[in-house]
Amino acid sequence: MSRRFNIGSFSIGTILTVFAILTFIPFYYVIMVSVSDPKLVQEGKLILWPRGFSLYTYELIISNAQFITAFTNTILRTTLGVLINLALQLTFAYSISKQYLPGRRFFIIYIIITMLFNGGIIPTYLIVRATGLIDTIWALVIPTAISTWNVILLRSFFENVPTDLEESAKIDGANDLVIFIRIYLPLSLASVATIGLFIAVMHWNTYMDAIIYINRQELQVLQTFLRDMVVQMEMAATLGDMSAVQETSSLSVRTAAIFLSVLPIVIVYPFLQKYFVKGVTLGAVKG
Amino acid sequence: MKSEAQAWQPMLAPGKRRTRLWKVIWKYRYLYLLLLPGFIWYLVYRYMPMYGLIIAFKNFNFMKGIWGSPWVGWKHFEFLFSYPDFYRIVRNTLLLNIYELLFAFPMPLILALLLNEMRHMLFKRTIQTVVYFPHFLSWVVFGGIVIQLLSPNDGLVNQIRELFGLAPIHFMAESAYFRTIVITSHILKETGWGAIIYLAALTTIDPEQYEAATIDGATRWQKLFHITLPGIRNTIILLFILKIGTMLDYGFEQIFILYNPTVYDVGDVLSTYIYRIGLQGAQFSLTTAIGFFQSFIGLILIVTANHIARRFSDVSIW
Repeated sequence: MSRRFNIGSFSIGTILTVFAILTFIPFYYVIMVSVSDPKLVQEGKLILWPRGFSLYTYELIISNAQFITAFTNTILRTTLGVLINLALQLTFAYSISKQYLPGRRFFIIYIIITMLFNGGIIPTYLIVRATGLIDTIWALVIPTAISTWNVILLRSFFENVPTDLEESAKIDGANDLVIFIRIYLPLSLASVATIGLFIAVMHWNTYMDAIIYINRQELQVLQTFLRDMVVQMEMAATLGDMSAVQETSSLSVRTAAIFLSVLPIVIVYPFLQKYFVKGVTLGAVKG
Repeated sequence: MKSEAQAWQPMLAPGKRRTRLWKVIWKYRYLYLLLLPGFIWYLVYRYMPMYGLIIAFKNFNFMKGIWGSPWVGWKHFEFLFSYPDFYRIVRNTLLLNIYELLFAFPMPLILALLLNEMRHMLFKRTIQTVVYFPHFLSWVVFGGIVIQLLSPNDGLVNQIRELFGLAPIHFMAESAYFRTIVITSHILKETGWGAIIYLAALTTIDPEQYEAATIDGATRWQKLFHITLPGIRNTIILLFILKIGTMLDYGFEQIFILYNPTVYDVGDVLSTYIYRIGLQGAQFSLTTAIGFFQSFIGLILIVTANHIARRFSDVSIW
């Protein structure tokens, strides 16, 4: 019996290892190509490990003005996005976490409806346009300022805070605003940091809003910059003419750009990993 | 509190009721104040677009605005239902979702069950760290890498094919490969992340059940079917309902990076079509009608799925 058990564990381990390797290959390949000698890459050499180590492509990409603009814009939208998202979500979630607040049920239904039904791409675009956000950085921040999932998550967090702190503060004459800022916010710092980190990653990675709401070149974000590189490469591949690809968007440069764009994610990943189990389960299981 | 209010409210004169309402608002003024920005945000960016859906029944033009544009009744819907493009994009969206449901949906569950069998903590942690990671990459990055790996000129896959003397294939330009590429890339990117919720559910199962089963001589498979799966049944049903609710919705960001004009016949989904034809082609009313159809079917699907789930189990999302 113990022999069969070992065979079982061994095959499960093998399956898991193969799957992990498959998910890791794409990113591994990017790193290997980006630090290889661009000439060897150009010649179509098979890159499974770095060939002729070179950081030339990194120099090339960080001296690219468009890349720097896109990077700065992404940092800006991420910072603004995190601050505005947190401010709106925390305040709303705090209020609806109060069982005694008259109208609480109405406000909860008010936000749940938007999870079940929405106006869709075009009407949302028209409203964003009507509120004057098109071709401004705010178009990337305001229309996605609240995620109802996050509000529900934060609400259940606030609900679980013992009420005796609040009650004693009320006896001392503190109003709800003071209680929120002085008592609840400091208590929820860990949750706020977790949610803030996830909002930051969302803002760093998303590009649908930039595609729809932004036309101005100087407001381009990192993801649209990378997408343009990919599209250009694909066009060249379809035409079968790789010479149409300029040096500034060759495979080597693209992989370097990709790696630099992912670097901030790699840096915060250990923190994300520490907290995401809590984040995911709180939101989804409670539903 | 509700019954108390009901009991004595009718006895009050209308004027007194209003002062009472103001008293309530004044008492909780700071909480309502905190609520206000979010309330307005939902009104403007969630409810106003719902109101904007009326342009599906109008001929929208920018000069006249949403309200001022002339009504045309069901014209756009009648046009849609006789329009081959519409069936093509609905079919593409549905097929991708069905394939996702069949092939990608079970993957996180399988991964979680496999991880759950591993007793070696360091190994388990390492695998988890690796497979969760791609979720945090953008679709531009992940899709871009997939396209690169499959490139006919310098892609890794074709270089390996070449080693075996096989001719290169331009995978991204062949309609036959498109759906496979979409589903496979989805599996690679999101399976790890999806497993977290099942792993969390698995921790709620009482370990004593396993111990008792082991003493009774139950095999690994028997424990799986009699303890593990029943233990996380609710989580599976819940995620299934949520998935059913999005059957007419396929991730814009994924398709938009992976598709190109040569594969529009299989790759075009509702959202990408609405973007191209609606925004770039300025067909606002027609594509709003498509969006309306999509939201409406989505609502029906999720309500129905939830109803069925509630009937046959105790799971409900509301």
